[in-house]
Amino acid sequence: MSKVNRRKFITAALGGAFTAATIYGYYQYSKPADIKSYPSSSITQTESSQPTDNSDSSPTPPTQSPAYSPKDAAYLAVVHGENPTEIVETALVALGGIERFVKPGDDVIIKPNICVSYRSFEYAATTNPEVVGALTSLSLNAGAKRVRVMDYSFGGSSEKAYTASGIEEAVNAAGGEMELMSDIKYRAVDIPQGKDITRWLIYGDILDADVLINVPIAKHHSLARLTLGMKNLLGIVKKPNRFHSNLAQRIADLNSRVYSTLTVVDAVRILKDHGPTGGNLDDVEIANTVIASHDIVAADSYAATLFGLTGNDVPAIRSGAQMGLGNMDLSSIKVEKIDV
Amino acid sequence: MPNKHDSSEKELGRRKRLYRLRQVVQIFTLILFLYLLVGTRKEIITILPHDLFFRLDPLLGITSILASQVFIVSMMLGVFTIALTIITGRAWCGWLCPLGTILDWTPTFRIKSSKMRIQSHWLMAKYILLFIIIFTAIFGSLSLIIFDPITILSRTVTSVIIPGFSFLITLVEISLYRIESFQPSIEQFDYLIRSRLLTEQPFFLPNLIIVFFFGLVLTLNIFRTRFWCRYLCPLGALLGIISKIARLKYRLNQETCISCNKCETICPTAAIDAKNNFFANTSECISCLDCVEICPTKSITFQHENKANLKSNYNPNRRQLVKSIGAAFFGTVILFVIPIFQVKNYFFIRPPGSDEQTLSNKCIRCGECARVCPTGVIQPSYSLKYLEILWTPILMTRLGYCDYSCTLCGEVCPTGAITKLSLERKQKTIIGMAHIDEKKCIPWAQGKDCIVCEEMCPIPEKAIKLEKETVMNSSSEISDVLLPRVIPDLCIGCGICEYKCPVEGESAIRIYHAEKLKHRAIIGTYRKEHRHLTK
Repeated sequence: MSKVNRRKFITAALGGAFTAATIYGYYQYSKPADIKSYPSSSITQTESSQPTDNSDSSPTPPTQSPAYSPKDAAYLAVVHGENPTEIVETALVALGGIERFVKPGDDVIIKPNICVSYRSFEYAATTNPEVVGALTSLSLNAGAKRVRVMDYSFGGSSEKAYTASGIEEAVNAAGGEMELMSDIKYRAVDIPQGKDITRWLIYGDILDADVLINVPIAKHHSLARLTLGMKNLLGIVKKPNRFHSNLAQRIADLNSRVYSTLTVVDAVRILKDHGPTGGNLDDVEIANTVIASHDIVAADSYAATLFGLTGNDVPAIRSGAQMGLGNMDLSSIKVEKIDV
Repeated sequence: MPNKHDSSEKELGRRKRLYRLRQVVQIFTLILFLYLLVGTRKEIITILPHDLFFRLDPLLGITSILASQVFIVSMMLGVFTIALTIITGRAWCGWLCPLGTILDWTPTFRIKSSKMRIQSHWLMAKYILLFIIIFTAIFGSLSLIIFDPITILSRTVTSVIIPGFSFLITLVEISLYRIESFQPSIEQFDYLIRSRLLTEQPFFLPNLIIVFFFGLVLTLNIFRTRFWCRYLCPLGALLGIISKIARLKYRLNQETCISCNKCETICPTAAIDAKNNFFANTSECISCLDCVEICPTKSITFQHENKANLKSNYNPNRRQLVKSIGAAFFGTVILFVIPIFQVKNYFFIRPPGSDEQTLSNKCIRCGECARVCPTGVIQPSYSLKYLEILWTPILMTRLGYCDYSCTLCGEVCPTGAITKLSLERKQKTIIGMAHIDEKKCIPWAQGKDCIVCEEMCPIPEKAIKLEKETVMNSSSEISDVLLPRVIPDLCIGCGICEYKCPVEGESAIRIYHAEKLKHRAIIGTYRKEHRHLTK
């Protein structure tokens, strides 16, 4: 056999590193989304004995209110009007300005609901592009370092859904970026306040972002009754279909870990039946409203009233309020209603 | 293969020029082939027709037209290849065929021993294969088209190499992403290649048979250069027959030939025979021109016939051709006696716009549909039980789902085996039918909430309806639960319910072959009158 020279050694080392990386990657890739197997409620959690493999094992609990809130700012802004861009801007002025949420140099992520690739925004299955576009330019004007918009669509590829919903065009025009959620960025993180789930694979960039603006569209859902801001966060986890056995509590658990700095519920067009995918214009009602608040529970609770329900009727909102994620009692907060 | 012969520097330079030219053409063609495959992804982004090589392949054209008895206009581009062959002989094989290029790069260990010599009558094997393929096509079956060289390569690339490669890249990225200092560069790299080169299609293990088949073709090259092209390739056989009347073909000036044997040694397909005074068998010659370059006396030319002293009278296999036609006819009869070639009732779920009849008549097993499918639901049929339809497209609805907004498979099919449907029509085309297994389904079996299938259903009215019922669940609690039921009149069988079902292993809701499809004359017939779909 010939001697091992430098070239052979480097080739062998690179080959070995490649193989090792592949095996380790496969180990990471094939890990279940949660520690518990599905369905899980009967299995006792032994979370503390599980070895943790990254620095996210003990996250600091998210603060439940923004750094400062001006005294005259509304707790919840409800703006009604024809022009989506205008009502979003008005709502943020009522909340005390976008500067209350976005500091100069912040890394901002906007999470709309872009669930399917086969519906344009008229069908009210995906968030109104003008609302997302307005929030993008507002954040950039407030000095955000960059604004990324992302969602993982379940029906059809996200790439196509971005285009079909019209959001890609609006965001690019406003100067933001559309990011395709990549498999490599999910991290298994602990959910310390979680009552049902205590660990899940969550998109790393959303955990790391300075500001998360949650822009759901208000629509019908047969199990959750309504899908609003809290449920919108299902788009940032791996295997969201594993949430459904105890959907309301799991949504609340997820929201206890991922904090939406600002929630803007798009109710310009709302889907009243056959949600979340829709497809019938008869089910769509034009409400021409946006609801904005730093409190996701309050915003969702108000949005429920558009469907003739209260926050108490929607299980996820009830669970969120019970966990102390926000206030669902609309009579105790300052709601500012504006017509434009 | 460049041959290391001693020659003067001047000659060496001249030799390299033609050889280099051929290599450039070969590399360019191979890159074009791969570009057309990779560019046909999610949407057709190529400038040239994405199925150019399938259209240029006259074997695919002839057999698909014979089998379907439909004049497929797009497949008539094969006439160009035939015309090229009439002018220059089997130049397609030597200069253009992407599989031939790869075989040229595959190492060969030439065995000198005369005992290992393969008898020349084995050259007939490819003609027998060709005529069996043509005869079975006349009888309406394209099962043996899997031996076409272009489809061998495209199938291997589309269903094994690309998904395997992107899975591997993703795994390496995931592990390198854990190292903090690598993160920005990995992100950048991922952003650059993910939407362009990588695919979300799953790597489907039974497709390894395809790569084994390809590996076999490469392995045979160890024994002889271009073993596949010499003994097996049916396209080579077809072009070989045509090249008998080629205008520009191997001519030898016997007066200047010094019998140095260099041409016989370098010939990659052993077309030149020293025993026959160095005349070449033109149907074996792939016009690579290596012999022209190596000849020290410039006795070999590829010129038009009417030049004096240039003869090519070596033409041994007219009788063999007739023999092979006879053998092929016999073989075809035997194939149709074997029951596997008569199975007609399949219950595979097929892509929208195709049925068993059109697929068996027109599908050339190229794998284009599997390549473009954004979710990877289309996979080559791998069941060895149904050899007749091996590697035709089937839907594996646990691996992916038929995207409600996608009509790509019909758009890319080169022969029209999958009908090109408008989006509106495709959304009403029945692919299969969902059935719920109530023993596995979480709400039915355990009394717990789970309406994932209903939530995912893309039909505007929802083909899965929920019914509220008070049951005792698996934790002995009385509670209300929503039980899903499939509405057969609405279901199109897209399979997203099966794909997204959270039950581990086999799904609790599965797509089956829609029985009523059998009674429909036309695929994609509009639904019953009472169905009001999207405006």
